[in-house]
Amino acid sequence: MKNIFNPFARISKQAVITMVVLQAVLVLLLWQTTSNGLIPPPGKVLMAFLHLLTTRLLADNLLVSLLLTVKAMLFSILITLVIAYLSVIPFFKSVAQFIVKCRYLTLTGLIFIFTLLTKDGSQLKLSLLIFGIVPFFTCSFLAVILNIDKQEFELCKTLGYSNWQTLYEVIVVGKADQAFEILRQNFAISWLMITMVEGLNMSEGGIGALMIKYNKYNDLTNVLALQLLIFLVGLLFDYLLGSIRMWLFPHTKLKTQLS
Amino acid sequence: MTAYSKKQVLLKAERVQLNYGDQVILRDVNFEVRDIVRPGMQQGQVVSLIGRSGMGKTQLFKLLSGLQTPTSGRITLQNNQTVKAGDMGVIFQNYYLFEWRTVYQSLLLAAKQNDLLKGKEKTSIDAYAERFQLAEHLNLYPQQLSGGQRQRASIIQQLLKGSNFLLLDEPFSGLDICVLDKVVDLLLEVSVSDEFKTLIIVSHDIASCVAISDTVFILGKETGKPGATIVKQIDLIERGLAWQQDLRHMPVFADTIDEIKACL
Repeated sequence: MKNIFNPFARISKQAVITMVVLQAVLVLLLWQTTSNGLIPPPGKVLMAFLHLLTTRLLADNLLVSLLLTVKAMLFSILITLVIAYLSVIPFFKSVAQFIVKCRYLTLTGLIFIFTLLTKDGSQLKLSLLIFGIVPFFTCSFLAVILNIDKQEFELCKTLGYSNWQTLYEVIVVGKADQAFEILRQNFAISWLMITMVEGLNMSEGGIGALMIKYNKYNDLTNVLALQLLIFLVGLLFDYLLGSIRMWLFPHTKLKTQLS
Repeated sequence: MTAYSKKQVLLKAERVQLNYGDQVILRDVNFEVRDIVRPGMQQGQVVSLIGRSGMGKTQLFKLLSGLQTPTSGRITLQNNQTVKAGDMGVIFQNYYLFEWRTVYQSLLLAAKQNDLLKGKEKTSIDAYAERFQLAEHLNLYPQQLSGGQRQRASIIQQLLKGSNFLLLDEPFSGLDICVLDKVVDLLLEVSVSDEFKTLIIVSHDIASCVAISDTVFILGKETGKPGATIVKQIDLIERGLAWQQDLRHMPVFADTIDEIKACL
């Protein structure tokens, strides 16, 4: 345990568990002692969370949000892959770079334009999410392409591959695991945006809409209970996507083990 | 002395020059590799390009492999075609293989590039894997292989691709003495697999190069002139050092090593 303050020190699994539990207890104690009439104590939030879990309201709204997120993620990764693969062709490189720069645009300023371009609230939410996610996905995937080891291209050349074969082998097949990792890492961004876009069309529900409703009535206990749920769902998806990646691309597991 | 003759030119470097900006890296590099014919057997060629570190060996390696083009001059193959990427089988120093492919998948990709193997890719892979003691490792990923296994996988990959030329960058680097002997045997085995099989070894390991080659080209600098060039060519067949067992104990072997060292 003395090593926990030593840089680069390796500590046992048991020591890690003990340390994390103690840190969590410390945070909860701090939260408990600093909570007053406005900020609910952790016990109250936990009770509200457990109560929410038993309600149909949460299940329905969570399902709406999850479906929308998964749909947006799938569309976004498809668009990202097309843009990223095309980015190695000079004609499309500038387009890809422009999309990356779109990270700096705020969604709020574009809501009206998207409202005009889409048919209904459902489409509006989906398109806003995709527009928000794609620049981040593209940015991450272009970084992967830029950092490809030169030897991967050289090996293709020495094997007599054409440029298209090289693109397929090195970027499409060779970096498929990285695309999955980007999906995992950026799930947090989509999950963050969902609560925002759901506030635009509350008729369909969703945890974002639910949270706005609780916020409106200053029901901070339920807001924090929902935050806890969002956090846990995020962690679950992170774990699931990580596990699927290891299963689909076994060599990534070897790389992790070696490093 | 073993009967032999040198026939057609298989590879020729003519007045090859490589500059990086104003800096001359390689200057007026000229050499040729001819088909060595020995009666009653298939005898490939093994030539070594020896030079000190920083002399431009890697650049010459890239020029020979077609991965880089010279500033001026030409490197041609027997049909007088300028060498281009894909003409030579290239084995990089770290035996790079696609990390996302199993050994078998990598070998299959290489075999599919070879029209002569059409329809018999799998049997060819199995045959090579058996011959190079890699049959049990075909379903492993490169990260699971030892350095020696990776090297063998790289060699098989390039052999399956079907090029007669095999260009090896520092194949003896970092190997212990037992593995070194195995690598030398392996390369000699490859060299006699086809009459036109030509191994070009780029290395700074003088003893190993002399032990395996029929010809040595020394890359060095000439006084007062910029850039490296071929300063000497040694025909090891004439000296009775090619195709010999236990040549390391021969006095002429030690003399040749000293001679090469003096040129570097």
